Amino acid sequence: MDVLTFSRLQFGDTAAFHILWPIMSIGLSLYMLVMEVAWLYTGNESYYRQLRFWTKIFILTFAMGTASGIPLQFEFGTNWAAFSAATGDFFGNILGFESTVAFALEAAFLGIFVFGWNKVGRGAHLFANAMIFVGATLSAFWIMAANSWMQIPVGVVVEGSKLIVSDYMAAIFNPGTIVSFLHMWVACIESTLFMMTGICAMVLLFGTRDTAQREFFLTAFKYCVALAIIIVPIQLGIGHVSGETVAKYQPAKLAATELHWDTNAPGTGAALNLFAWPAAEGGRNSFALAIPGGLSFITTVPQDGVVRGLNSFPAADRPTTLEATIVFYSFRLMVGIGVVLLLLMFAGAWYWGKGRLTLAKIDKHRVFWWLWVLALPLGFIATEAGWMVREIGRQPWVVYNLMRTSEGLSSNLNVVTVAATTIIFTLLYLIFGALFIYFTYRIVKKGPDLTTPV
Amino acid sequence: MIDLPTIWFGILCLQIALYILLDGADLGLGLLSLLPKKESEESLMMQTVGPIWDANETWLVIAAGTLFGAFPLAYSIILNALYIPVMLLLFGLILRAASFEFHTLAHNKKIWSLMFGVGSLMAIVGQGTALGGLLGGITIVDGQFAGGAFDWVTPLTLFITVGVAFSYAVVGYAYLIKKTSHEMAGNSFAHVLVAAGVTFVAFLTATLMLPQMQYVFLSRWSTAPANYLLFAIAGAIGLVSLLLCYDLLRKRHREHLHTLCMIIFVLAMAGMLVGVYPYLIPPMLTIQAAAASEKTLQFMLYGIAPLLPIVLAYNFYLYRVFRRHMGPSEREGY
Repeated sequence: MDVLTFSRLQFGDTAAFHILWPIMSIGLSLYMLVMEVAWLYTGNESYYRQLRFWTKIFILTFAMGTASGIPLQFEFGTNWAAFSAATGDFFGNILGFESTVAFALEAAFLGIFVFGWNKVGRGAHLFANAMIFVGATLSAFWIMAANSWMQIPVGVVVEGSKLIVSDYMAAIFNPGTIVSFLHMWVACIESTLFMMTGICAMVLLFGTRDTAQREFFLTAFKYCVALAIIIVPIQLGIGHVSGETVAKYQPAKLAATELHWDTNAPGTGAALNLFAWPAAEGGRNSFALAIPGGLSFITTVPQDGVVRGLNSFPAADRPTTLEATIVFYSFRLMVGIGVVLLLLMFAGAWYWGKGRLTLAKIDKHRVFWWLWVLALPLGFIATEAGWMVREIGRQPWVVYNLMRTSEGLSSNLNVVTVAATTIIFTLLYLIFGALFIYFTYRIVKKGPDLTTPV
Repeated sequence: MIDLPTIWFGILCLQIALYILLDGADLGLGLLSLLPKKESEESLMMQTVGPIWDANETWLVIAAGTLFGAFPLAYSIILNALYIPVMLLLFGLILRAASFEFHTLAHNKKIWSLMFGVGSLMAIVGQGTALGGLLGGITIVDGQFAGGAFDWVTPLTLFITVGVAFSYAVVGYAYLIKKTSHEMAGNSFAHVLVAAGVTFVAFLTATLMLPQMQYVFLSRWSTAPANYLLFAIAGAIGLVSLLLCYDLLRKRHREHLHTLCMIIFVLAMAGMLVGVYPYLIPPMLTIQAAAASEKTLQFMLYGIAPLLPIVLAYNFYLYRVFRRHMGPSEREGY
């Protein structure tokens, strides 16, 4: 393997690991904010206990997010120097905004939020909580703006080897920014909610028999289901708009996502492949289970319109057969999980309406609770799969149709160094990931502190 | 009229200075935690850095963001050329961040405070070798790094790394004294004095080596007004250092030690700036040549510059909230 492959692996590895933590930081900070507002508004102690308990896990996710986020920023320079030099005018600038405006806000107020309970007033504490949430959200916005620009690079002109900004607002609010940001932001909240319900279900099924403790986790479960009822349907709508944006601006990515090889003739709708496997030599599928006319139906107006196939792009300008296959299955994994979570949300609402969400009835409905346990990691898997579609589907371009990934590489790197650092990153992250699960398990096992006076 | 690249260079220097002043103390504390000591002292150290270290590290992220945005060419060349030092810094920072949180949660705290120390050491060595590599010169051809992976391995880098490590140890120690009423280091004054001495010798040697490695420094340092400025700064550093030694020997004004250290740091950085200006990467790339387009610098100035005082203000607020001394038993929050 060469420097390019290892650098792609390294960035993919470190980004895939990093994204787990902001997902939880955004989701948990929203939950914490809702709880603190509810507590101060109603004076109900239950909200306060929720806030204090989930904060413990939030702190851990924030530390992991900081630890794994700093390397990503530097990797643009270490491994992708040519990309950084060419796009720094816009891309570096936006990352600058992210660190100055968003991350700094979050980091500074975290200290006050965590250590300041007896040092600042309640109003100031709530403000710190809100700033953490705002910081996390802004951070997601800037990152999505920068990434969307790599997908739809508008607002810049090519000057020599550099992309110089000609219109800032057009570049920041490129056609992908708002929808991608919302898609990711809602995914963060959704994934976190299903992680929390999974934890609650585990405690209720296998954990402590202490009634007060069980009541706490049942309450958390209900709050999460209530939030999920708002969030999950929204995601379906945003997901659809996101797909339309890809269809319009990145036709090669759409074709890869659907393993759609040959452009259909006008008036004959392109088929939607439910499952497909490409032939070894590429250029066609050796097997496909398809709905006739389906792809045109969901992506074009009129509904039997032309959808460009992969074969209509020069082989050097579109994802390889392997990349297309990964994108195809990642997309189906993401959508499949989205549907499963929607059904689970309905089941939760139904059980709630039927009055079955009580401690006494848990043992009668063990299957129901088991489903929530199994759903614990699904949101994260779906989010990772979505990013695979987004980033691998963009290949071979790092800046769509303007700069190839291979052109963005640093110069004079040797393969041993890059391979070694990739392995160290991966090992460190595997160990830290395992430790995070272990310490979260311990926090949950110990349970919330329900006795210390407020 | 000062031009935009110079303004942004000034902002960048300010951010790096803030990072070194703030995070230097907790990196130094991490280094000190590697020395043998009692468990209670160790917890106190971790407690001292608790509320502030992530806000401190923010300045590194902000400085890197500024360098990327305002001087993309320098960002790409420096990180490309100093791949190994930068990776060492990153691994150190990862280890520090994770072990700090694990330390508060784990039963076996020893291993995590050790990891915190090891992470700090790695981060410090990463910074020292990166600074050494940068000052020693980077080979650039056609706006790209054109040297080898180990170009930064020089005697100069060794001295600078030693200097950085020992100076952080001194400032970490001074910070600890300021923040604790605990008599935790009554008899280690001698150690600090030795550490301060090693810092002085290492940086002095490195300074003398520089003009021999790169002719550009020699000509720059021997012409007015740079030579007068450098002379004045060196004199000031000498004076403050003497004051520091005097206080140390007399074991008094212990709370002022940290302030004196900070003054020396600022003076040393000012000296480096005067010595290197107008180069961003000596001897090839000037501030002007590395800068982003006029439009970007302007946009960043309107967008980010007004926010920096706000970032400063909320960091200042954070420090005020946690200003007072910490007793050995004080542990609250979570």
